[in-house]
Amino acid sequence: MRSYIAFCKKEVLENLRTHKVLILMIVFLLFGMMSPLTAKLMPEIFKSLALDGIVITIPEPTALDAYAQFFKNTSQMGLLVVLLVFGGMLSNEITKGTLINMVTKGLSRPVVILSKFTVASILWTLTLLASFATTFGYTAYLFGSGGQPNLLFSIFCLWLFGLFLLACLLFFSSFTSGNFAGLALTAVSLLILLLLDIFPRLHALNPIALASLNTALLSGAAQVSDLSIPIGVTLGLTILLLGSSMMVFRRRKL
Amino acid sequence: MNVLSLRNVSKRFGSLNVIDGLSFDVEEGIVFGFVGKNGAGKTTTMKMILGLLACDSGTIRVCDEEVAFGETATNRHIGYLPDVPEFYGYMKAKEYLTLCGEITGLSNAQIRSRSDELLNLVGLSGVERKISTYSRGMKQRLGIAQALLNSPKLLICDEPTSALDPIGRSEILSILSAAKKYTTVLFSTHILSDVERICDRVGILNDGRLMLEGDLADIKSRHRENTVTLEFESTFDLQEVQRTFSELPFVSSVELQNRSLLVRMSDTIDGNHRLLEHLTRLKLPLLKYEVGEPTLESLFMEIIK
Amino acid sequence: MEKIIEYLPFLIPIILLELVLAVTALIHLLKHPDVKFGNKTIWIFVVLFLQIIGPILYFTIGRSDQS
Repeated sequence: MRSYIAFCKKEVLENLRTHKVLILMIVFLLFGMMSPLTAKLMPEIFKSLALDGIVITIPEPTALDAYAQFFKNTSQMGLLVVLLVFGGMLSNEITKGTLINMVTKGLSRPVVILSKFTVASILWTLTLLASFATTFGYTAYLFGSGGQPNLLFSIFCLWLFGLFLLACLLFFSSFTSGNFAGLALTAVSLLILLLLDIFPRLHALNPIALASLNTALLSGAAQVSDLSIPIGVTLGLTILLLGSSMMVFRRRKL
Repeated sequence: MNVLSLRNVSKRFGSLNVIDGLSFDVEEGIVFGFVGKNGAGKTTTMKMILGLLACDSGTIRVCDEEVAFGETATNRHIGYLPDVPEFYGYMKAKEYLTLCGEITGLSNAQIRSRSDELLNLVGLSGVERKISTYSRGMKQRLGIAQALLNSPKLLICDEPTSALDPIGRSEILSILSAAKKYTTVLFSTHILSDVERICDRVGILNDGRLMLEGDLADIKSRHRENTVTLEFESTFDLQEVQRTFSELPFVSSVELQNRSLLVRMSDTIDGNHRLLEHLTRLKLPLLKYEVGEPTLESLFMEIIK
Repeated sequence: MEKIIEYLPFLIPIILLELVLAVTALIHLLKHPDVKFGNKTIWIFVVLFLQIIGPILYFTIGRSDQS
């Protein structure tokens, strides 16, 4: 337990001093601010793009448009940034050899995986919350009341999908070598999930729903019940991936 | 008591037998020099002792407990200094030692006193820079401090001096000699003068096994060559002396080397007396009389031939 | 256009945050002798001209750990 806390402290320090926290916070705050503003200014942007004689009419933007922008940004660019920031959390240590001193001091290897997952999850939670709070405030100010049905549930789905990606990163890094193999395999898996989404029969199971149906949940195009199976699958996969990365990492040559 | 003992340990990488039936013991309280050329299998052996690599066969025991691959409880007895120790560059030395201390289970008070003591020992106290700005020698010294933190029974150093300049090397060697007071040291190197400076026992690894193992002083006396080097004044005709000496009954051969003669005898102690008698009787203009001492280097070269 | 000016108080923090990110990356880049791959000049352009993603790429894959 003590070594778990010690290694978590080390992870926090690392994320602070290597500017990872700074990047995450700034990027997610930017998304939080930009999303409602982009929605609000969309008609203006179109107007300035419009050529003479062509009149583009778009309906007056609403709070729903603001959240649509927010979920589009965070589920695409946002998750990409999360992958980039945490992509090397395990593989960099393996390639550099910094874990050798820790392991020969008696640090258990599953603790390494667990502490890394804990700290990355906490940072992901905090940044997503900060980003969401900003968007919520901006939307309320720019569009009046920002209350939307299923809003918190939709955020929860995106959050859970983020945890799933972090578990993927740790799992794929636990047996590959090189700085980017874990990141690349996670990206490939993400691509496979996207491709599988084409098949209607897998649609109801696919974890990708957690990061793609967010806006549909707000507009009513998707129901909470549609997500219950993907949530179960994602939760199960996350635990499975974490468990297996601990097992695999235990026997890995360092 | 043996702090470390290896029995018939073998390790194969592909078709290459890196370690082939290696057995040796390291007694408590000594500095053991583990010598071999680059690629002889020194690092492989050390990694197996630390459970970082699996052995194909044989057993390794540390403080009478068997080493298991992966997570091994025996590591609590060991302090390890890798050949190029890697640290978290964004930390300061004290922060790093605190992390190590917490992981290894020391109390906060112990961590404070141990790290002060050790930073002092390795000459890093008062250095407030981040580790990423350290020189190689400083990293190596921090590596020793880190390895000694949990007062290990066995300190394993993998080529601690190879990458350093002469000053850095000398510093590390004196720190290791000082560490001998607290712990047993297993120290691998291919620099033989380092071994001669600080080791009590030596093992020479070649082709995956120990070709020679024992007390350094013993090995030297056992391999003492019965030779004497004689140097004379420059005007002197050496060929004449060479002929006279080679006719003596206790001399097996005389070699002419530049301005000196290398005399090989069947027995050193007796031979020395009789040779000196001859030298005084003939009143030869002698400048230097040196009894041959085997260097580890010559032994090493002979062994790995 | 006047509408953009109306929302200037909202735009300023966004621009400031982007600047903080770019400047932090630039300072780090200039203070460190080398980068993991590519060369420093390329990274200066990446950091300054690729908004948001430039500094992120620098900190996540471009920076070297040495000082």
